[in-house]
Amino acid sequence: MTDDKDVLRDVWFGRIPTCFTLYQDEITEREAEPYYLLLPRISYLTLVTDKVKKHFQKVMRQEEVSEIWFEYEGTPLKWHYPIGLLFDLHASNTALPWSITVHFKNFPEKDLLHCHSKDVIEAHFMACIKEADALKHKSQVINEMQKKDHKQLWMGLQNDKFEQFWAINRKLMEYPPEDNGFRYIPFRIYQATTERPFIQKLFRPIASGGHLHTLGDLLKDVCPSAITPE
Amino acid sequence: VSCSMAGEEGFFLEEKRFKQYCEDFVKHSQQIGDGWEWRTSKDLGDGYLSKTHFQVRNRHIPPDLKEKNNDNSEQMLFAHVEEPSDDSQAAGVCSTEEVVRYEYHVLYSSSYQVPVLYFRACFLDGRPLTLDEIWGSVHASYQARLQEGPWDTITQQEHPILGQPFFVLHPCRTNEFISAVLRGSQEHHRNTNYITLWLSTVGPVVGLDLPLSYAKLAPEQSTDAAV
Repeated sequence: MTDDKDVLRDVWFGRIPTCFTLYQDEITEREAEPYYLLLPRISYLTLVTDKVKKHFQKVMRQEEVSEIWFEYEGTPLKWHYPIGLLFDLHASNTALPWSITVHFKNFPEKDLLHCHSKDVIEAHFMACIKEADALKHKSQVINEMQKKDHKQLWMGLQNDKFEQFWAINRKLMEYPPEDNGFRYIPFRIYQATTERPFIQKLFRPIASGGHLHTLGDLLKDVCPSAITPE
Repeated sequence: VSCSMAGEEGFFLEEKRFKQYCEDFVKHSQQIGDGWEWRTSKDLGDGYLSKTHFQVRNRHIPPDLKEKNNDNSEQMLFAHVEEPSDDSQAAGVCSTEEVVRYEYHVLYSSSYQVPVLYFRACFLDGRPLTLDEIWGSVHASYQARLQEGPWDTITQQEHPILGQPFFVLHPCRTNEFISAVLRGSQEHHRNTNYITLWLSTVGPVVGLDLPLSYAKLAPEQSTDAAV
């Protein structure tokens, strides 16, 4: 992992320039200017848009404001997906900045999870971390950590602190030298065209023949339609 | 029960076994008209158990008293709505009684190798219940556990096959209680349907009961080759 530190940093510090515009049917007391923000790819919409919320609430009356939600070209954006994933899934072929519409009314109950506080985001993030470790280490590494380590992982993400985050995450990314990798590789394949949110299956890092599996092997195995020509 | 036991790790359910237990479970459900069905996904061939039922939710009556009425396998409690106890409730909407439509799905988690209970609830007008309302309707016996750490027990999540918001009973604790019970089961009754055992334990937490006849359910002789 130390060799890959540059890659880890590039992934962590990836940003998407975004333009937030208030939905035209929201009731305002004066015109709402768009709000520009560089969004971290590895974070979550509801974690990094406090300033966006404040900006638009300034021109609205209290009674017109309920839970914020975001939409891109008519599609409600799932805050529980990492921002980079949302962009790659919905807008990677369009010009920057990414134009997101902000809503404060008519929360789409059938499409989006509620996010009433930062605790909800933390719980979701930690659940993902735990599930990944169940696959990598039968949950041994995550369960051996203290609550303060879990907290440090979350705070690192929330406050954009690479070193703080990786001080803990590196333990989750290690495996005994005698093993050739994790028990199973945590992965999810997202496709914009399917009702199913993602493909997730058990997948070992080593093939039965002993060689290391590649990304191509994974795709051939679980999502062949993605690589076979039409 | 066929299982792979690794020391203290408990009992893990393989996906093939899960599907078989579900198949046996649905067969019995069909025999007694309990409303469970298996749904297969079109794209990847995996699937889940599904059941929908209606319940009257009484705001002013403690949850324990409601449970008395869940003995019959029909689970349809429209009678309570259509036969008000006095004239004042006969006309218009009853404020103390609301009919809630519950939908329960049992999916398999390959990460934790256990079944997972997903559910959602809405009033008849379509309004979904909030997480607070769901917590409020959790059986009184489980309230204390929930107070400790609500984020550990029931949360809202995206359904892995349908992609819609559901409430989920967290699977990471399943192994704790299942192991204890199945260990005893393996010693005394070799044939236990894992789904029956698991669902009869977690279901009541969220208003889902299993008629007692499921206890007689054993895997078909031909499918349960080894224990």
